[in-house]
This record gives sequence, structure tokens and C-alpha cells, in this order.
Amino acid sequence: MSDPVHAVVGLFETPRALLEAIARLRPRGLGRLEAYTPYPVHGIDQALGLRRSPLPGMVLVMGIVGTVTAFAFQYWISAVDYPLITGGKPATSWQAFVPIMFEVMVLFATFTAGLGMLLLLNRLPELDHPLLGSSSMSAITRDRLALAVESEGDGLDVAAAQRALTEAGAVAVEVVARPPGPYTVSIAAAAVAALVAGVAVVAAGLGTWVAVKAFPALPPMVHMLEQPRLSAQGGSGFFEDGRAARLPVPGTVARGRLPHPFTRQEEASVLGNPLARTGPVLALGRRVYGERCLVCHGSLGDGKALLSAAYGAKPANLHTAAARALPDGQIYHVIVAGKNSMPPYVRELSQDERWAAVHYVRALQRAQNAEARDF
Amino acid sequence: MNPSETVERRLLAVAMLGLIGMVCSFTVHGPARFWANFLLWFLFLLTVALGSLFVVSLEHLVGARWSVPIRRIPERISGLVVPLVPAALLALFSLPVLYPWARPGAVLAPIVAAKSAWLNVPFFAFRVVVCFALWLVSYRVLVGSSLEQDSSRDPALTLRLRRFAPVFAIFFGLTVTVVAFDWISSLEPEWYSDILGVYLFAGAFLAGLAATVLGVAYLIGQGRLPGVRPDHLYNLGAFLFAFTVFWSYIAFAQYLIMWYGNLPEEVYWYKHRVHGPWQTVTLILAIAHFLVPFLALIPRGSKGDLKTLCRVVGLVLGAHLLDLYWLIFPVLGAVPLLSWPELSFAMFFLGYALLWARRAMARGEDMPVGDPFLAEGLAFHL
Repeated sequence: MSDPVHAVVGLFETPRALLEAIARLRPRGLGRLEAYTPYPVHGIDQALGLRRSPLPGMVLVMGIVGTVTAFAFQYWISAVDYPLITGGKPATSWQAFVPIMFEVMVLFATFTAGLGMLLLLNRLPELDHPLLGSSSMSAITRDRLALAVESEGDGLDVAAAQRALTEAGAVAVEVVARPPGPYTVSIAAAAVAALVAGVAVVAAGLGTWVAVKAFPALPPMVHMLEQPRLSAQGGSGFFEDGRAARLPVPGTVARGRLPHPFTRQEEASVLGNPLARTGPVLALGRRVYGERCLVCHGSLGDGKALLSAAYGAKPANLHTAAARALPDGQIYHVIVAGKNSMPPYVRELSQDERWAAVHYVRALQRAQNAEARDF
Repeated sequence: MNPSETVERRLLAVAMLGLIGMVCSFTVHGPARFWANFLLWFLFLLTVALGSLFVVSLEHLVGARWSVPIRRIPERISGLVVPLVPAALLALFSLPVLYPWARPGAVLAPIVAAKSAWLNVPFFAFRVVVCFALWLVSYRVLVGSSLEQDSSRDPALTLRLRRFAPVFAIFFGLTVTVVAFDWISSLEPEWYSDILGVYLFAGAFLAGLAATVLGVAYLIGQGRLPGVRPDHLYNLGAFLFAFTVFWSYIAFAQYLIMWYGNLPEEVYWYKHRVHGPWQTVTLILAIAHFLVPFLALIPRGSKGDLKTLCRVVGLVLGAHLLDLYWLIFPVLGAVPLLSWPELSFAMFFLGYALLWARRAMARGEDMPVGDPFLAEGLAFHL
């Protein structure tokens, strides 16, 4: 409150008069010069000695940041975090990144331009300005151009400023006082604003709730689901026999299921286990054993399981000397062809799954007949 | 002998030397390379002329005032469409050489044979004649009225131009698309791109703007455009900047869609250009037609600075020529051809065009003195 005067304002009738007044007052150093005009005046930036706006530089930097951000995000998603081949294109296909890079560049740049101008450079929101209450304001918003000599805080020579403005050709001069204290908001106005905000929030919430209830879970992309296709058990007018399900071409060999060439168990002794005894292989064997073998042979492989008692079956104990002496190939053959009342598992299990199960059976046998060096 | 005559003699000598080189090239390398070069330069000058004509019509279309003081320059350059009529008729001889669908007795793929209702020599020639007739009429209306106004000072002519400009905009778009489809796309008739017309339009508009800037610089250098200030140049620079981005946008959109779709009948065209020996040309095109002008025109200062603008438009014109080269020459083979035949064609056509431009720039008033908006245009501030 050291200086109750905010500014001395002079009104001018033409842009030329304003520019001339600026040129005359600037060297005097009476205070900070500020012009208020109803429309843009050419050359006023140079006359007032305003610096070039830093906004273009900010926009450029943020545009580059946006481009790089978009590239980095897409690269990370497409090539690092979840590499998914689409349309036979490499995971790092820069061509596909370009539209997003462009859009994010525009997003960053426009937000920087808009918010940077309003919030940073224009210092909005500004709730009040000393000039708004002055009588000059009505003239400025009509057709007058104003030049204000504003106080810089260390006192303003009001009389000198008034004289200078009058000499420079001002048609009217007004002293604008600084409003006492910061701008305050009345309680009524705050209540109205809070009410409006509250109603808006409630309305948005209700609208969302209604929308979600009225349009439940719309599937976003159903093209793959809704494509024309035949169902396995349905009919089809296309094929001669009227069925949609087709048999494979005779002689078809499924991947990982080469035909087993032996009919007798002893012949299969020549087969060796092609899989290395690694962690993943043993894990696979354990899964296969648990799904297919455990129900009869028991979790330890000793042939004592729940089912054997209920049905009077006598599954083999895999820990007998004979069973332990069997070559891998013969165990494999039993899995393929079955034995006694054990059914063949040739359809259910692939080659790798069978061989993994053989490894697991070996592990079970070793577990029941462990030697001192195993501990 | 005065210096002006010396320059003209030298240009004439360059053009004649080029003409000799052209004849030698025809006898040494055969017709295919000759006609490809001819087509390149015919389309280059045509796009410069049509682009300038579009710059002229744009002013009337949107009612711009700032461009009135410099309008005479694109008006003069667009007159190049008149001497291009014999070049177009001559270029018809390239049909059986360069265009597979026009080769007598050629066995066409079904996809090309299906286009024979459009791709046949009589209809092609008919379209060439119709397009040129439309352009010549437009030139008569757009430029003729403006010249008439110099002496008559009749403001009604301005209204007439404003009524005509939208009509011109419509068939300009259609005829440029026809040029792109007929002269360029049908060189490889299996390939098709709906957007190629827009692509050529973007290039032509840039070329017209670039030629306009060069013309403005030429006249300013002679002190014949008093009152044209950096504010006017800034607008030309902003136009150049905008359409550099537009061209790149269209070019990349065409590439992206074909790359994504990966259809054999489309993507082979790009495979030829993006991989192998043509890759270098594609990269240079991207740098010269987009990257350098884009970066050079970003600063505010460079758009209003005549020297910077001249450098940029020189590059833009070169890039536009390279663009047409990139569109046409891959039909000649896997390796880009650049040797004395290409130089000869450049010497002849550039020599001729500069000679023509010098004379065109000397005729009549340098500004549309009868235009009622000239004073307002001269008073233009950013």
C-alpha cells in the first residue's frame, strides 16, 4: 500500500498519436509504459520495446518432445514390451508410428501454445485489474487508445506523468488508483460458483451412470468374432456330404506326432529319449504325469492310487526292479500302445509330452531309490 | 551490344547446345530415354505454369488483397501453358514408347486390359486436347481480364474473375488429376493410386509458388516492385511452408497406405523405389522436398527474408523436378539414369524457359495497376 496510484492514463484518438506519444514518453523513464487499445496497432510492439514472445520457441521444443515421446512409447510397446507381428510387418515399423508421432506432436504443441499463452505469458486467470474500474476503460473499449504510465513500485511522479501525457497530445488524462488490498470474492458469489460446480459434477456422474446402464459393455471390435464361418458340428451346403467338419487328407501327419513304427514292446528298446533332462522338460513331464498317469499309478508311481482300489484294477508299480530296468524306449512304447488294461495315449500326448513323461517317471524312480550321493 | 542481349544470347546458346545433346541422345540411347526426359521436362514446366495459374485464381477465389501487388508475376508465368501446347502434342509420340498399354500388339495383363476403356490412344489424345483447351480458356479469362483492367480500370472485371475462380478451381482439380493418372500413373498401368492427383496438385502448387517467388525476387532486384515489403514475402513463405507440409502429408499418406495394405499390384511400385538403387533418390527426395524446406521455413525471420526464400524455392523447384524424375524414370530400369542426356534436356528446357520468362517479365505493367484493391494490397501489414 506504499503507493496508492497504479497509473496515470492518457487517452489518444488515433494510432499515430499513440505511437508518437510512446516515442516521446519512453526516453523520459517516468514509469512502465503500457498501451491499451481496442484493436491491434501495427508497430506498437517495437514502439514499446517489447521483447519477442518466447512462445514459438516453447511450442517448437514441446513439439519435438511430443514427437519423441510418441516414438518412444510406440517403440516400447511394439518392440520391447509386447512385440506382436501384425500383417507380416517387423515389430519396429517406423512407418506405422508416424501418424501417432504427428498427432502427439500437434497435441503437445497446441496445448503448449494455448496454455502457455493464457497461463504463463498472459498470467491468466487475473480476476481484477486496476484499470477495469477506471473511467478510461469505457473509452478504450469504444474507440480510444490509452497509454498508461504505470507505477513500478518505487513511487510515481504523478504530476510529471500528467504533464508529459498532456504535452504528448492526450485528449484526457486520468489518475487510476490501486484498489485497496487483493481482490476478494464475496461469499454469495463463491456459494453460487460452488453450487454450479456441484450441479455439474452430479449431472456428469448421473449422465455417466445412465449411459453405462443403457449401453452395457459394447464389444469394441468384433470383426474376428462375427466373420462368416462353419461350426464344427453344423451342416454345410458346400461339401458333397453336407457336413461342415472335414477329415484330414489321408496320410496327414500332425506336427510332433510322427507315426510310431513298432508293434512289440521289445523292438522299441532302440529308441533313446531325444529330450535333454532340463528343468522345463521335467516340468512338462510332471504336468503330463499329473494329468494322465497319476490317477492310476499314484503320485509316487507306486501303483497305489484312489482309483485302483475302487475298480479292483492293479496298475503297475513303477519302482519294481523290472520296471526300473526297462529301457526308455519301452516305457515310451507302453505310453504309445498301452499295456494290459492301460489304454494307449497316442492321441492324447505329443511325442515331446510322452518323452517328457518318461523323464519324469525316471525321476520318480530315482526319488524312491535314492543313493547316498543324491543327498 | 547491351548486357540484356548478351544474357539472351547466352541462354539461346545453352538451349541450342542442349538441343544438339537431345538429338545425340536420341540416336545413341534410343527413344525410351529420350521420351522419358521429354516427359519429365514437359510435366515440370506444365506444373510450374498450372501452379502459377492456381496461385492467380486463389487470390480471386478467397478475395485476397495482400497478393494483388505481386499478382502480375504468377500471371506472367502461367502464360507458359501456351508454348507447352506443341510440347504436349509432341509428347503424344512417347505413348507407344513409354506406355505399355499403348504399345502396338502388346499382350496386356487382365488388370490392365480391364482399363482399356480409359487407356487407349484416341481417348488419351482427346483428354490432352480437352485439358489444354480448358487451361487456355482459363488463362484467357484469368490473365486476359487482369491485363484488360490495366487500361480499362473497370472494377466489374474483378467481380467477373471472382465469379470465374470457383469454376476454375473445380475443373483445375479434375484436369490435374487427369494429368496425374494419364501421364504419370499409366506409365505403370497395373499400379493405381487415387491420391496421385492431389499429390501432383500439391507439387504443382509448390512449383508455382516457387516460380512466383523467383519472379518477385527478379523484379525486386530490378526495383520494379516498389511497395512490396517483407510482409508480402512473409505470406508467400507461409504458403510455401504450409504446402511443403501438405505435399509431405499426401506423399506419406500414399506410402503408408500402400505399405500397410501390402497388395502386390500396389506395393511393387514402392518396392522398386524404396529398395535397391532407387532408395537413394527416395531419401534425397524426402530430405529436399520436405525436411530442408520445412526446417528452413520454421523461423519467422526466414519467411519474410528474400534471400532465404530464394534459396528455399530454388531447392523446392529442384525437389519438384526430382519428384517427377522419381515418378517417371523408374520405368526405364532398376538404376537411376543421370548423365549427359539428362543434362542436355535440362540445358534446353531451362534455357528456353528462362529466355521465355525474361521476355514475359518485360511485357506490360509490373503490377495490376487497374485493380481496385491494389492500394489496399500495398498497405498490407502482417
